[in-house]
Amino acid sequence: MSAATAETPAPEALMRPAAPRGRARAKRQRTVMLLFIAPALAVYVVMVIAPSLQSVQLSLTDWDGVNPAYDYVGLRNYQDILTSDRFWNATRNTLVLGLGSAVIVNVIALAVALMLDRLHRAQGFFRTIVYLPALVSGFIAATIWKYMLNFNFGAANTVLRDLGFEGAAMDWLGDNDIVVGVLLFIICFTLGGNTTLIYLANLQSVPQELVEAAKIDGASGRQVFRYVTWPMLAGAVTVNMTLAMIAGWTIFDQVMVLTAGGPGFISETMAFFIYKVGFGEYRAGYGSAAAIVLFVVVMATTVLANRYMRSREVQG
Amino acid sequence: MRNARARSSAGAALPRGLSRRSLVQAGGGLSLAAVLPLAACGTGGGTTGGKTPIRFLYATGDETWNTVAKAVADAFNAQSATAVVELDPLPAGSDYATAMKTMDATGNWPALVDMRDTATYLEAGKLAPIPAEVTDLLNEEVYAPSEDGEVYIVPTTALNGELGFNIVYDKDYFVEHGLAVPATYAEFIALLDAVRSNGDGALATAAGEVWPSDQLWKPLAAPWFARYDEAGGFWNAVAAGEASIEDLREPLERLKTITDEYVIEGWQSTQDAQTSTLLVNGQAVMATSSAGIGRLNDIAKVDPGFNAGIFAVPADDGALHVLKNSVNGDTASGFAISAQAREDGRQYDAAVEFLKFYFAVGTCDLMEEQGMIAPNIEAADQIRRNDSIPGAADYFALLENPDLTWFQNDSAMPAFSTFNTFFRQARIEMQDGQTTLDECIAKTQEEFENLAAEG
Repeated sequence: MSAATAETPAPEALMRPAAPRGRARAKRQRTVMLLFIAPALAVYVVMVIAPSLQSVQLSLTDWDGVNPAYDYVGLRNYQDILTSDRFWNATRNTLVLGLGSAVIVNVIALAVALMLDRLHRAQGFFRTIVYLPALVSGFIAATIWKYMLNFNFGAANTVLRDLGFEGAAMDWLGDNDIVVGVLLFIICFTLGGNTTLIYLANLQSVPQELVEAAKIDGASGRQVFRYVTWPMLAGAVTVNMTLAMIAGWTIFDQVMVLTAGGPGFISETMAFFIYKVGFGEYRAGYGSAAAIVLFVVVMATTVLANRYMRSREVQG
Repeated sequence: MRNARARSSAGAALPRGLSRRSLVQAGGGLSLAAVLPLAACGTGGGTTGGKTPIRFLYATGDETWNTVAKAVADAFNAQSATAVVELDPLPAGSDYATAMKTMDATGNWPALVDMRDTATYLEAGKLAPIPAEVTDLLNEEVYAPSEDGEVYIVPTTALNGELGFNIVYDKDYFVEHGLAVPATYAEFIALLDAVRSNGDGALATAAGEVWPSDQLWKPLAAPWFARYDEAGGFWNAVAAGEASIEDLREPLERLKTITDEYVIEGWQSTQDAQTSTLLVNGQAVMATSSAGIGRLNDIAKVDPGFNAGIFAVPADDGALHVLKNSVNGDTASGFAISAQAREDGRQYDAAVEFLKFYFAVGTCDLMEEQGMIAPNIEAADQIRRNDSIPGAADYFALLENPDLTWFQNDSAMPAFSTFNTFFRQARIEMQDGQTTLDECIAKTQEEFENLAAEG
């Protein structure tokens, strides 16, 4: 008799008296688990859930964020937001940065992960190198980029000028034609590490038997990727795209540090817009309404995108 | 097999000696352990060596002000038997309004605040009255009681209005090229032309942060604002429908022309402090400033040999229109004592003690030594003035200039600071060519009307 057979569940007659005991034990375990998560849950409810719900109420007021007195203004804040050019510019930037960074980061991360997966030597070293930018906080990374891209004294323009490309030296963070693109580049640079690691982990779990079988059947490297590896990565693509889009919708640090939304309003994102009007301009009610709109946009786009990608997974 | 694993892992989760009861107790203990430190966050206060510690929040801007704040705090701490001032500087580039709101939201007001958006916080009851034992030390023109008869704000430095909004320039360059300080606006443009025709950068200005964009705009707009001095100020006239943003078309046009023709490249992302470097490095012959003598002091620290000078941008007729400080209302700035400090009597007393020290003649001498013009105290004639900073004589000469004309332009609109931020950004947008002058005027007017309607 094998060990598995020895552990075969007892006959039903023997199990029946044990069921109430099992339920009681499961209940106790749930209680213990709840107690363990209670501190984090309490903090989360107080610091995140409750203020989020309160912001719905505040979005209907003219609260300045300081004075305890305020009036209800109905849906006026929403009306003002939806008719504001500034808001729509911020929405457009958010879509460009959110979707753009999600697509670019995923494409680059997948390519890097494929290269790392094929490495037989020093994979750990290169994995660390790829992941390092993700370890630096967005704020600090943006500050470093700000110094590097300074028009007058930054390393980028200094190198270009020293190499004789005076005309190529640009006001990277002040030229309204390119500033959103520069932000997109910097955001992609910072976000790539985690995405690469997720792809790499999935690549390494692709069953080698399938890959070898495909090769024996005469499949080229590209065909192996298209018909074996890519379908196996569908779940990772969904996770990575979703995470990247959520990160993109809430881009703030980089904008705050690098451009403060300028020049003018040109590089404001929705998250920065909410911060600016809610905190810097003493319009907490208006900012709350903008936050609610952002929440709806994030939820809707994430759910739709997720549903689409899940459907692809099934087909795959 | 699956059940075997499940049982096996269940067994692993409950090692011998760790009963379910102990697990429950551990969970409860963890909850308590997590909550206690949070509760501890709410406690505060205390003393430092028997002295009452108080915080002083201020916006770091020019290096001179940072140095003065530290020197005065150190001197106070060395002599006070009852209080210790801890500096709480907010680094340049940070959003000071946001920091103050965060501080307010967390109920973490320092005793002393370098106040901005004063009316907003005063109306919300966040400030404590400043007692007569402090205001008696000051010239009565630099403070004023609020509607309730109490004084809530006193100046940190000399109230010379916006005389500090001027042009800092390279004197040696002027001498070398036979240039002179302009006496009219036409001469100012001719001067910019002359520098540009030499192939040199004429003017450095900054819009990397939003507020320094005022440095070029305000002197250009001053003659137009000054026309409404006796009518209660331009912004109040706009609110009353007696004026409009359209009335600022000409100064806005001048702003656009100067930006396009004479300002050196990269202004959109240049930080305020960088304009001094551009001047000292010879990348520009002139630079905008709002720090007055403080900017000259910063330049002297960077390059003691640099021969800097200051002039104000004149109006068409040569008049120098300069905004007089508001000593009350939303645009008034200076020291305030927080209402939170008053709840703790010792903090309030310590803050008052520091302010009395700040406005003493000896402390004013210390400020002057550090390069800042001391506040207008009652005993101002006893202060040892510092005229050793290169260019300081130009600044003091401006104060004596017969063409100097003061004007006031306070706004009664509660949301004026919100509007002002918008107007700054709208101007930068127009200067940058993202919008036309007409669009800038139209959207600014619309924003003003919307905010005025909100009350």
